[in-house]
Amino acid sequence: MRILLMTAFPVLLMACGGTIPPPNEEWSAAQADLGRAESGGAPSVPDAKLHLQLAQEDLQKSKALMDQDNQRAASLVALARVEAQLALSIAKATQAQAEAQKAQQDVQKAKGN
Amino acid sequence: MNFTRVSILCLHLGLVGLGACGGDRPAPKSLLDARNELATAKSGPAMRLDPTDVHEAELALQKAEQAWSNAPDEASTLDLAVIAQRKAQIAEAEAAVLKAQQDTEASKRDLQGVMASQLNAARGQLDQTKQVLNKTQESLNKTQEQLQAEQAAAIEQRKKLADLEAKLKDARDTIAKIAAVKDDDRGMVITLQGEVLFATGKWDLKAGAMAKLDQIADALRGKEQPMVVFGFTDNVGTRDNNMELSQRRAASVRDYLVSKGIPQDLISAQGKGPDAPIAENTSIEGRAANRRVEIVVQPKKS
Repeated sequence: MRILLMTAFPVLLMACGGTIPPPNEEWSAAQADLGRAESGGAPSVPDAKLHLQLAQEDLQKSKALMDQDNQRAASLVALARVEAQLALSIAKATQAQAEAQKAQQDVQKAKGN
Repeated sequence: MNFTRVSILCLHLGLVGLGACGGDRPAPKSLLDARNELATAKSGPAMRLDPTDVHEAELALQKAEQAWSNAPDEASTLDLAVIAQRKAQIAEAEAAVLKAQQDTEASKRDLQGVMASQLNAARGQLDQTKQVLNKTQESLNKTQEQLQAEQAAAIEQRKKLADLEAKLKDARDTIAKIAAVKDDDRGMVITLQGEVLFATGKWDLKAGAMAKLDQIADALRGKEQPMVVFGFTDNVGTRDNNMELSQRRAASVRDYLVSKGIPQDLISAQGKGPDAPIAENTSIEGRAANRRVEIVVQPKKS
């Protein structure tokens, strides 16, 4: 039985897609996403800041799981990436809307003259 | 430990193959949220403005749905659901960015339009102001021309006056050679002795008198100044006779000057008799001085 299992183990691993490596590259990419969100103004937009924090938390969790549960770790890193990307998108949207509002005010001001 | 996890995983994978997993249980909240978010993104402006990100979200939701039906108990299944929801949110946020950018561009075009029309209005005002300025300049030029013309006319007038004065002085000089000339408040007074002009008691001019009057007429002709010829006598004889004599003598001189070209309407005659002596009538010389004719050339009325 033990021998069977021993021989079956690598077979089973093969069947499941092999051993999952730690998501090192994705982790770096997530760090880069976080950096972009931070420099893109996310910390000063409350809604964006929330997703920035979620991304950081996901990354922390992912780090803790690294080499123990690489699949979940990779999943969390992927989640952290979209959180960071969303934070940047929200920050960009907020800035663009402020700009649009200012442009509209400029028109009104010019018309008022 | 590792072995069991992998076994369980493999078990799940096997169940996926059988299609017996997840489908019966109610979907977790995160998956429901993801479905709702994608539906919102698809029905909103994101579908038009950012179809790529909507498509990504759709793929992510499919992945999450698949994971849910294949391995509902895996923690990563819920991660995939959240990822799908976030991707739908990203699509919406990116669409909001594009929408705001379009709004900004539209506002900038509006601003340009407003500024262009304001510029045009300002240009119009400037043109009007220029026109007014030009008109003002024109009228100023005209006024200046008029002023110059008036100045020229004034100079001409002064010149004429000076000319006339010079001529008058010439006339006066000429007359002074043949008669006494003086100025008083009546104007220039030319005094001719009675003996030079008339025989005693007569009022027709002597031949010598005519020669003198010719010279006076020559000098005064063309001056266009009003003149009065006064006749005077001494106090010998009746006053009535003297009045009549002085009147007739003045008239003779006037008539003669008219015949020599002095305009009739400018010259009149008046007899003063013995009323305005210039010397005592007690001596021969005094009486001779009082018998006289005065031609008063009045200042030209301007």
